[in-house]
Amino acid sequence: MKKYTFAISSLFLLAVVSSDSKCGKKNQTEYDIPEHVTQENRALFIERAEKGKILYKLYCGDCHGIFTKGKDSIPNFTKTQIDNYHATALIGLDPKNHAVAQKMSSEQIDYVITFLRIRKVKK
Amino acid sequence: MKIFSVIAAILIIAFCFSFSLQQSKDYNNLYEGAVNDLDKQLSLLLTTIKKTGIATEEDREQIRKEIRSCRLSMKGVDFWFRYFEPVMYRKINGPLPVEWENEVFEKFEPPYRREGAGLTLAEQYLEEENISKDSLSALIRSSVEALATFRADSITQNLGSYHHFFLANRLYLLNLAALYTTGFECPDTGSVIPELRSMLKDVKEIYHRFDEAFPSMPLSTEYLAQYNKAIDFANNQPADFSLFDHFTFIKDHINPLFRMNQQFITRYGVVTKNYNDYSLNNNCNSIFDKALYVPQNTKGIFSLIEDEKLLKEIKQTGKLLFYDPILSANNQRSCVSCHKPAEFFTDTTQSTSLRFDRQQHLERNTPTLINAIYNHLIMLDGKHISLQDQVKDVTRNVEEMNSNEAEMLKKILSCKEYKDAFKKFLKYTPEEKEVTLSHIVSAITYYYADFSRHSAPFDDAMNHKQDIAPEAKRGFNLFMSKAQCATCHFVPMFNGVKPPYIGSEFEVIGVPEDSGFHKLSPDKGRYKVNPAHETMNAFRTGTLRNIAFTKPYMHNGVFQTLEQVIDMYDAGGGAGKKLHVANQTLASDSLKLSAAEKKELIAFMHSLNEKIIFEAPPAALPRSGNKELNSRKTGGEY
Repeated sequence: MKKYTFAISSLFLLAVVSSDSKCGKKNQTEYDIPEHVTQENRALFIERAEKGKILYKLYCGDCHGIFTKGKDSIPNFTKTQIDNYHATALIGLDPKNHAVAQKMSSEQIDYVITFLRIRKVKK
Repeated sequence: MKIFSVIAAILIIAFCFSFSLQQSKDYNNLYEGAVNDLDKQLSLLLTTIKKTGIATEEDREQIRKEIRSCRLSMKGVDFWFRYFEPVMYRKINGPLPVEWENEVFEKFEPPYRREGAGLTLAEQYLEEENISKDSLSALIRSSVEALATFRADSITQNLGSYHHFFLANRLYLLNLAALYTTGFECPDTGSVIPELRSMLKDVKEIYHRFDEAFPSMPLSTEYLAQYNKAIDFANNQPADFSLFDHFTFIKDHINPLFRMNQQFITRYGVVTKNYNDYSLNNNCNSIFDKALYVPQNTKGIFSLIEDEKLLKEIKQTGKLLFYDPILSANNQRSCVSCHKPAEFFTDTTQSTSLRFDRQQHLERNTPTLINAIYNHLIMLDGKHISLQDQVKDVTRNVEEMNSNEAEMLKKILSCKEYKDAFKKFLKYTPEEKEVTLSHIVSAITYYYADFSRHSAPFDDAMNHKQDIAPEAKRGFNLFMSKAQCATCHFVPMFNGVKPPYIGSEFEVIGVPEDSGFHKLSPDKGRYKVNPAHETMNAFRTGTLRNIAFTKPYMHNGVFQTLEQVIDMYDAGGGAGKKLHVANQTLASDSLKLSAAEKKELIAFMHSLNEKIIFEAPPAALPRSGNKELNSRKTGGEY
């Protein structure tokens, strides 16, 4: 049984990695930034979100959805959940599930949260 | 036959089920009964205030008496309330009318204004001049209203499982060590020990009912035996909190109970949903262990690195940077200029250090970096929320290092040794494409934070490793009682972080500008960051660890000796010295300490000197491709 899951998950990962490298452009994340944000801050937002995306893929994506072809799903987080307490509090209280997030610096968590917040969700 | 046995089995199961249901109901009933009792007492108090009023001393004495019996009921629910809803509990047992808070999980938000009410404030209010019946009633009515919260399903549903119990118990034990015996939230010092005894007894009943309700997750007989010993100890000690042996109470009773409770938390797989547990570490077996609560993040951008060898390299690079004046605009100032490693990472020779211009002095005394990581807000005014932000600020501050990110990076990366090191580290921070200021400052914080891991003789004594002198123990007992130190410098870090160790406190004590107390220090303190009536002249409470080695004292370095500092507190702070201090959080009455008592307090403080192993400075600084930089001196020039 374990072997089986291992095989599936490694296949899955392989698929992710290859889809990522092959069609990087297609997988570019679109961002949804409120209109009142200035052009300068918009760039800042995207810069932070892009950093967050890298961290997310490496450290969060295994459990919380994966960037698969055509479908980009991150379960468990609604926009309001992310806004509440800046999500850091939420991470702090569950050491078992969020061991990685607990190790992140607040800046790194901020990048991840920014990414989750402003990324355009495909329907 | 078969049917009979099935029916019998069902009956037995049903019986057992109803029995255990009854038991868990008993635990719930105990809670409800305690809440109702407090409600009843508060209502009686309100009636008395309404009927007899507060006109004569006799009336007030009657009210004081009733407040005291209310307080005993309050102590009966404290075990649960303080854990379940600490903000709301402050309407029943608030230490101050207004507190500005920025707990560790709210660090990204502006400070919250939280109002207190209830019995402690009512008792204090009775001593004021020109008091009104309505204001007094309002303080108590707030408490009655707050009780609704504690009856809500969202709170009482916690009682249905065992998880909350061990976590509430942990907080209770920490408060037994840090707050309950010190007079914190108890203006009548004569009541401290009687209230403690009453509470110990009430919690014994809570333990008893819990064990019945959750027989598969019991407190061990060893725990209960130890708890009974604690009760006996408290009952046999003098009722005057200044004569109470706080040292032995914590060492032989509370700390062993804490250790066992931590083991229950692990063994029973206790899960928290409560912010009170945010900072506490489940894998720590003593209150006097530096692992008790999670400190500041010292790794910064390197947070996700766990490879020991690599971390060691980062630390070494951090050390070089710490001594390297390349961080300053004129290549003459380094971190070491003010934070001298051999002097406990502070400067014992200057009240306040020189500014960048070498002419004037800075506004505030250089704090020691040792144990700075145990503050949730950084700087004396809590300006920064992380260690890394603080280093960034110093390097860019025109009065301190006067540099900027681009200039610093250019100079640092002109040195091959730094360039190679950071290029290597960069590979482990995938979110960054090039070396940033965050890499630089994170190496620095990771380096100096390492000096905070050591313990003091006082910790060793508490952990039964090596005893300390009787004089130091007497000093600790005074510290916890008559001298009123422990109501702000909390066990075990002796800084402003109290159980459950989620926030840093600020206090107004009226520090003068000169040691002759001619004028109040003009420094506005916390007000600069969070302007409010209560924050004027408030400063974050510092740690007393290594205090004997970190003179001069106070935010402006106005005092040279510990004796001077104690004399100031003994006199009742700035207000006691007749300075006009709005909103002093320290009582302005004299503590009436004798010369011998002051000596004992200092002996205790000396037991907080940590056994730190300091390192020699680096032999040489990295060579730069820019020749001009190679004449810079290790540690800087001023």
